[in-house]
Amino acid sequence: MPYEPGPDVIEVMRHPAKGPAMSTLRVFGETLRGMKTTLARVAEGPLTIQYPEEKTPVYPRFRGRHKLHKFEDTGLEKCVGCSLCAAACPSDCIRVVAAENTPDNRVSAGERYAAVYEINLSRCIFCGYCEVACPFDAITMGHDYELSDYTRSDLIFTKEMLLAEPLERTPLRTEGE
Amino acid sequence: MPRPEQTIVKLTIDGREVEAIAGTMLVDAAKQVDVEIPYFCYEPKLGEPVGACRMCLVEIEGIPKLQTSCSTPVREGMVVNTTVDRVLEAQNSVIEFLLVNHPLDCPVCDKGGECPLQDYTFGWGRGKSRVIEPKRHFVKPLALSPLIAIDRERCILCYRCVRFSQEVAEDWQLIFTERGAHTFVGTHDGHPYVAPFSGNIVELCPVGALTSQPYRFRARPWDIEGAGGICTLCPSQCNVEFTVRDDKVVRVLSRENSAVDDGWLCDKGRFAYQAIHVDERITEPLVRGESGELESASWEAALGAARAIAGHRGRGAALVGGQATNEEAYLLGRIVREGLQSHDIDSRLSGTVELGLTRALAAPALQATVADLEFAHTVLVLGTEPVDDSPILDLRIRKGVRRNGVKLAIASARPSTLDPNATLSLRYAPGSEAEFLAGLDAALSGTAASDEFGALATLLKDGGEDVVILWGESLPAQALPTLLSIAGKLGLTDRDGAGLLEVPNGTNARGIREAGALPNAGPGYSEVQAGRNAAEIAAALTAGDVTVLYLFQVDPLRDLPARASWDAALGKAAVVVAHASVLTEGLARHADVVFPAESSAEKEGTIVHPDGRLQRLRAAIKHPGEVRASWQVLVDIAKATGVETGILTAGMAFQQLTKAVPFYAGLTLEAIGGRGLRWPETDAAAEMPAGAAPAPAKVQATEPAPEGKLLLGTYRSIWASTEVEISPALAFTIAEQLVELAPQDAIALGIEHGAAVQVAQNGTRLAGRAAIRTGVPAGTAFLAAGIAENSANALTESIVEVVKA
Repeated sequence: MPYEPGPDVIEVMRHPAKGPAMSTLRVFGETLRGMKTTLARVAEGPLTIQYPEEKTPVYPRFRGRHKLHKFEDTGLEKCVGCSLCAAACPSDCIRVVAAENTPDNRVSAGERYAAVYEINLSRCIFCGYCEVACPFDAITMGHDYELSDYTRSDLIFTKEMLLAEPLERTPLRTEGE
Repeated sequence: MPRPEQTIVKLTIDGREVEAIAGTMLVDAAKQVDVEIPYFCYEPKLGEPVGACRMCLVEIEGIPKLQTSCSTPVREGMVVNTTVDRVLEAQNSVIEFLLVNHPLDCPVCDKGGECPLQDYTFGWGRGKSRVIEPKRHFVKPLALSPLIAIDRERCILCYRCVRFSQEVAEDWQLIFTERGAHTFVGTHDGHPYVAPFSGNIVELCPVGALTSQPYRFRARPWDIEGAGGICTLCPSQCNVEFTVRDDKVVRVLSRENSAVDDGWLCDKGRFAYQAIHVDERITEPLVRGESGELESASWEAALGAARAIAGHRGRGAALVGGQATNEEAYLLGRIVREGLQSHDIDSRLSGTVELGLTRALAAPALQATVADLEFAHTVLVLGTEPVDDSPILDLRIRKGVRRNGVKLAIASARPSTLDPNATLSLRYAPGSEAEFLAGLDAALSGTAASDEFGALATLLKDGGEDVVILWGESLPAQALPTLLSIAGKLGLTDRDGAGLLEVPNGTNARGIREAGALPNAGPGYSEVQAGRNAAEIAAALTAGDVTVLYLFQVDPLRDLPARASWDAALGKAAVVVAHASVLTEGLARHADVVFPAESSAEKEGTIVHPDGRLQRLRAAIKHPGEVRASWQVLVDIAKATGVETGILTAGMAFQQLTKAVPFYAGLTLEAIGGRGLRWPETDAAAEMPAGAAPAPAKVQATEPAPEGKLLLGTYRSIWASTEVEISPALAFTIAEQLVELAPQDAIALGIEHGAAVQVAQNGTRLAGRAAIRTGVPAGTAFLAAGIAENSANALTESIVEVVKA
């Protein structure tokens, strides 16, 4: 059965009445409306970031690639190889093998140091728990997010790589930016 | 003393009804109903509680002050509260006081993550300290011994280690020095704490004050996995837990089994795990190449070379070392008997015992258990030195004497470390064991030849019915009928809590014998055509009657007497096939094929404790290098000799064994489980063939040594093993030739303690160092056997000459 809308339904007119003259007017009007938006953006200038030549700046608390730290005065590593980061890691991507400092080979300030410190960045989820767990602020999350590589094994970062001064590839968002 | 009767008392802890055995301490009763009371110093294994740490304070209704629950036994109707404010306040304060001086270097400390102080601070501590004063400082870390590091700052003075040293191991070395906040653990004069059981204090320490040097900074509790296993370095067969990191054993902990080890380990068991992962270990097959040197080879090449034994039917022989499992011994028996159609297989390397006598000595009704040592009226230690031969039994005997009033009698040739604990200790001349036992037998019948025999007979007869005789395998075979006669006179048969307990020379000696690796017995002590024993195999090799020798984890030049004749015999052998984990001298010189042997942490199989307990070895780690399962290798060799075993897994080997040994019937690996199962207690034990003891033979009196010469006795130190030699941590213990002399003889010979001496006999000269011991009877000298160099097995006669070097 055909649908009978009944007396309560009112038909609303959403377009100019049909006919050639009115159609022309309608199309021209819509084109102008579009052009208004476009011309307004032209005046604003381009927004596209030309990655990788240009980079999005990150916020100070952005969690990128980890960094290991040394004491500035003594040059000793802050990490004592306690493995708490490995314990906290939900994706189990940190491996620490500790060893003992000797008078001839003093690496960290405590009795022990991390002989092996590896983070498998292909597995890391950048949650930052390692940074929270660290009792010596030896590991922090850096700002680097450019981590792609050609082989998976290259994504296992060793202690030397994590200790090295990172190439400041990522701009930091300044205040008010 | 027999085991005490147990009565049950009822009490209330935190509103929960508890039924506990009278005499139980409140902490243990609380554990039954899942009420946790924190404590540091309490450890039931150490004996009486001391109440030193005050952590376990609880409120007992009717007593105005808080009481230490570790030293308060349960009483009928007691009402105990552990969570009222008063108790929590006390616990808070104890933690706060402990942390006044305890450094917060948890990230560096090896105990971090498995530390009771950490856990209790988190659970019962205030979370904040009101103390702002600087902490006490000591120099740290120091080495308490080459095996143990001590950090005195971390010590909370719980007395556990000191009590262990003084009341369990009884070496009396550890003490607290200084007083007050300056108190620390140490030895009297600061010498290193070196003792056979020192490693236990690492496990006892509730904080990180005492840590293991070999395990230092190796791993964190969350890096590791525990895997239950059995230590196979001596017949004690202690239950252990291997700590595994990255598929390597990095630590050994005790896995308490009161029927076996009581929760202790000796330092050999605790630290010789290092032998699993060292370069000295053989991890690939070796075959003697054209150059005459052993060269590494593929498994195909090695198995191919070993198949040559199939061409020597009727002329093959095998020696089985003590570390073999039951399955391996059973398979070797099949290779020799079925494959090589020979009868020459031996595992009792100290001499063959008649089959009837072997059966009688192994009879289930006559077996004492390890726990019986602790609850017997009298224990007689006969011809063995527990601390060397089965160390953990030494602690068990000390415990029985100290806590249960067990009367201890010792009869041995060499002075024993248990002498101070003994009611009576008798010495006989080395080699006169049979004579001594005949004298004791006569004394038990009422005709004591001397006061000593009379006193020993009185002690054994009148001291109480429960007598356990702990006897060493090195007793000569002719003395054993007398031993049975003595056991019969004391009524040890069919008596719970009494009996004989053998200390064999090999770890699994009992299981290997039961699996049929004896010249005169097949699986289950069944009758077989008699073959040659070890000494006869050597003679037959020299004569050319035997041309093939299969050495399973045994090196005759190292482990067997008459070294020179073995050297010649092995030189004559056409093919010598060996399984070994270390290339010892005899194998390096004479073996044609060496298969890498498994360590106990890699093995699947079963072994039998000297008291008849079957225990299961489980693989904790993968085989390192090219090592293959030994049962698999033996199955391959069996195939080459024409024996189709049909065995595809270690479990199938065990099934075949249970079919072949009647008294193992019905045993399954599941039933054995992690705690072991004593077959003498199963129904199938009735299937054990009855023994027949021959009448004791007349014995000849031993002649004393002629003027200027000494009677030779041998001993095998706890450290005399290849595993200890290649473990870096135990390098300081490596046994050297210590010639033990009586003071009178030393003076007569002009030898000083520690002087270099030479022991001469028939042109053989051994170098050694003199050790003058007051307990050594005059006219005897004791030499170390089983060591790498200058071992006593180079000497063949019983009289030696000791001269200054």
